[in-house]
This record gives sequence, structure tokens and C-alpha cells, in this order.
Amino acid sequence: MAHRKADVDIDDEDQFYDEAEAAAPVAELEAALAAKTADVRALLSRGNVAAALQTALNEPVYGGRDVDSIKERTLQLVMEALAATRPADIAGVVAELRPGQLDVLLKYVYGGMARPDLFNSALLLSWHEKAYEVGGLGAIVRVLTDRRAV
Amino acid sequence: MATPDVFEFIVGVPITCHAFNADRSQVAISPNNNEVHIYSRTATGWALAHVLNDHDKLVTCIDWAPNTNRIVTCSQDRNAYVWTWEAGVQQWKPTLVLLRINRAATFVRWSPLENKFAVASGARLISICYFESENNWWVSKHIKKPIRSTVLSVDWHPENILLVAGSSDMKARVFSAWIKGIDAKASNPVWGEKLPFGTVCGEFSAGGWVHGVAFSPSGNTIAFTAHDSTITIANGPSVPPQVIVAPNLPFVTLFFASEHAIVAAGHDCAPYLIANRGSHWELADKIDGGRKKSVTGNSAFSKFRQMDSRAQAITDVELNTTHQNTITSVRPYAGSGTSVSKFSSSGVDGKLAVWDLLSAGIAGLRL
Repeated sequence: MAHRKADVDIDDEDQFYDEAEAAAPVAELEAALAAKTADVRALLSRGNVAAALQTALNEPVYGGRDVDSIKERTLQLVMEALAATRPADIAGVVAELRPGQLDVLLKYVYGGMARPDLFNSALLLSWHEKAYEVGGLGAIVRVLTDRRAV
Repeated sequence: MATPDVFEFIVGVPITCHAFNADRSQVAISPNNNEVHIYSRTATGWALAHVLNDHDKLVTCIDWAPNTNRIVTCSQDRNAYVWTWEAGVQQWKPTLVLLRINRAATFVRWSPLENKFAVASGARLISICYFESENNWWVSKHIKKPIRSTVLSVDWHPENILLVAGSSDMKARVFSAWIKGIDAKASNPVWGEKLPFGTVCGEFSAGGWVHGVAFSPSGNTIAFTAHDSTITIANGPSVPPQVIVAPNLPFVTLFFASEHAIVAAGHDCAPYLIANRGSHWELADKIDGGRKKSVTGNSAFSKFRQMDSRAQAITDVELNTTHQNTITSVRPYAGSGTSVSKFSSSGVDGKLAVWDLLSAGIAGLRL
């Protein structure tokens, strides 16, 4: 079966390769995530959910396998902020997001929905509902189209 | 809100592409197959006048040169034909164009002077075609670099030299299509001083496939729309472009109605107006007010009759727009290049609509 695993496209010079994201070195990203985590937790403990979520959504980490663990922990951080929001406040928090942040929020919502064993899908659905009310179908299309997955 | 004139040639068959002749008395459409149908306007509607069936596979694009009255068509069979009208025999005569591509042709447009045309293709290149009188045929030169995927649309600069191309490698690029022996020496204050063939005069990134591109009437501005529901407007290669993020499904086609207005349409089934408000562009209006449904007869009676005959309540599947499916092409219909007053749209629902931009309630918008 070895032939099935051979990458025959290597010899095809017409092959389309996606440009690698110019991500910062992993150590820098780790430091940034640690700082971000501290900021978000501080804001959450003061009850400022909107600012905490915006901080968590800032500068999302994109890239390949080497940053998988950072992406995973960023997802958990965003989920912490989402879970800390009272259901009645969701609409207000979403309305405060900038359009770019709204698209990133939807990426994390879908990322969370892909792991129903870890995250509360009912909560994510209510976030999705409010995000859709503000961003429309365009925001969903942007998440589907964007090659930079979180 | 405007109510457009709507024509349906073959009910239920998508219109792949359409092009009107100069005086709008005839229209060429492709009914989603290898044929091109030419309809003539009659007192009551449209009558099928000619069927051009030299292509072997789906016809992907048609363009009708207004001054020289020539039609160019391109197809998934990797060929393009230039059709000239033979008045003696009352027929369109095809001339094969040597495109030299190994993938489907996707899009074709005559240059403003109608001495060249550009064919976009899945072979990751653009064929710039021109007539070689010594050999009496149409030949092509290729723009290859740095295109990395299928080219989906092109549009010409009004000065006949530059070309903007949108591609599925998520980039829109401005190229020089200057041909020795056809064009005089050219330069452009916005896009570059030296413009030999194939020069990349600008490259702009999008968040998805670039579906549609357009030059403004002055040629100083380009606009393109991508599959991430955005429209990007750029004033030259060095100015940062402005991105309009739309809340609806992606647009696939657009054109400049004037220097300050863009009409775009796509998967949302309705055309939209994008207007320049002095310093910035914004999504101004939907040019389709939606129709009032005519409820005929006693609604309670028809409801129970429906439940009786089909064992279900009336299901409403009709969209509140003129087009009932994706609009794949919008093109200027009337008015000058710098101030389009009417435009035509065609789409997957098989309808061809002609819209009046002035009565669409946009006259009040300062454009």
C-alpha cells in the first residue's frame, strides 16, 4: 500500500501551493498568548465581558501545525469569555464588536461547534444567532471562504 | 423602486451569458449549452433569428462589439470564435481564434477600440487576441505571470492598453496588453509610465476568489468583488484600496455606472448600488424593491383547495426579487460610458431583465 501514500503531486510543477502565512516565531506567539490570557482573565474577573471578548479576538493566530497548540488554547480562551457572558448580554456584546472582529468571532463559534464534547453547543448557537443578526449571511460566507482557519 | 422589463426566452433554462448589439435590437444569449441564440426584437417580444452552434461544449461568455458589429464567443471547448455578419447570405460566419490554451475559456471582452480582445481561461493565463492581416487570422499572446489559478473575469481600460483581471488565486491584477504593431506607444499617469506587454501594473488581494472586475469610465479606479462578500475599490497601485464588507451573499459581477456609482449583483439575486460619498464608498441601495404578490381569488378557499389536492399547505418558495436565482452578469444597456441610465442582468433563473437606474429611486442619491 506504500504507493497510496506517495505524494504524486510533488513532481507536478503546475501544482498550486497556498502561500504560507507569515506568522511570527512560535516563542513570540506563546508570549503574546500568555499576555492575552492574563488580560482576558483580569477583565473577566472585573465583569467586563465585552472588553474581555474583544481582547481574546484580537490578532487571532493563523498558521500551520507548529501553532496548533496555541490555536487550541486561544479557542479555549475565547470560549471562556463566551461562557462568562450572561445570555441577556450576548446581543449587546456582539453589537460592540467591529466588523472584522465579528467574522473572527464566528470562526471561533464554528470552531467550538466542531468540538461538542468540549464546548456547550447550545451556548454557541445563541452566540451564532446574535452574530448572524448583525453580520448577515456575508459574515458566514467570509468564514467559509477564508483560508486562514483558527 | 424600479420595475424592470423582464424577458424569458426559454422558460427554466439558465442564461449563461448575454450581450446586446449596438442599437439593442438584437441580443445574443447562451441557453446553458454549446449554442449561442440570437434573438431579434419584435413588436411583441423577441424572436429567435439565428443559432450559432460551432462550439462543442458550454459557451461561457459572449461579447458583441458595438462599432464593428462582430461577436466573439468563448467556450469550455478551449476555443473562441469571432463571428462576422455576411449580409449576402444573411448568416453569421465564424472565424476560429488560435487561443493555444489547454483548459476551458471562461470570459471574453472586446477592447474599447475593438481591434483586440482578451480571453480569460482555466489555463492560468489570459490570451490577448488580435488580427494578423498577413495570415488573415486571429492570433494571441499570453499573459502568464504571475497568475496562479483560473482567471474568472477581465475588463479593459478605456484607453485600450490596460486590462484588469480577477482570478481564483484571490488576487485582482492590472496588466498591460500593449501589442506591438497594433497599439501606439503608451503610458498612463496612474498605472505606470512604461507599459510593455505583460507588465503587472497593480496587484490587489481579496479574501476569496475574485469573481468580477471593472475599470471606472476614467480608468483611474478599479473595483472587484470576491467570494467573501466584499467589494474592493482601488485608485491606482500605490493607494491603499477601500474594502466594502457586505452583509449579504457574495456578488459575482459588477460594472461602473458612472465615476461615482457601481452596480453589483450575484448570489443575492438582486442588483445593488454602491455609491461614492465624497471620500468613501458605501453600499447605498438595493435596486430591486421586491414585488407585491398578487393573491388571486379567495385565499382561504385556495388554501383549503391546496390542502385537499396536495395534502399540504401552500408553500411559498418564490423569492421577493425579480431574479429567482443567482445573477451571473450585469452590463450597461443605455446611456454613455460615463453615465449609464439603464442596465441589463441575466442569471441562472433564465431571465433577462433591463433595469432603469434613474427611476430606481437613485436619482435622489447624489452620485
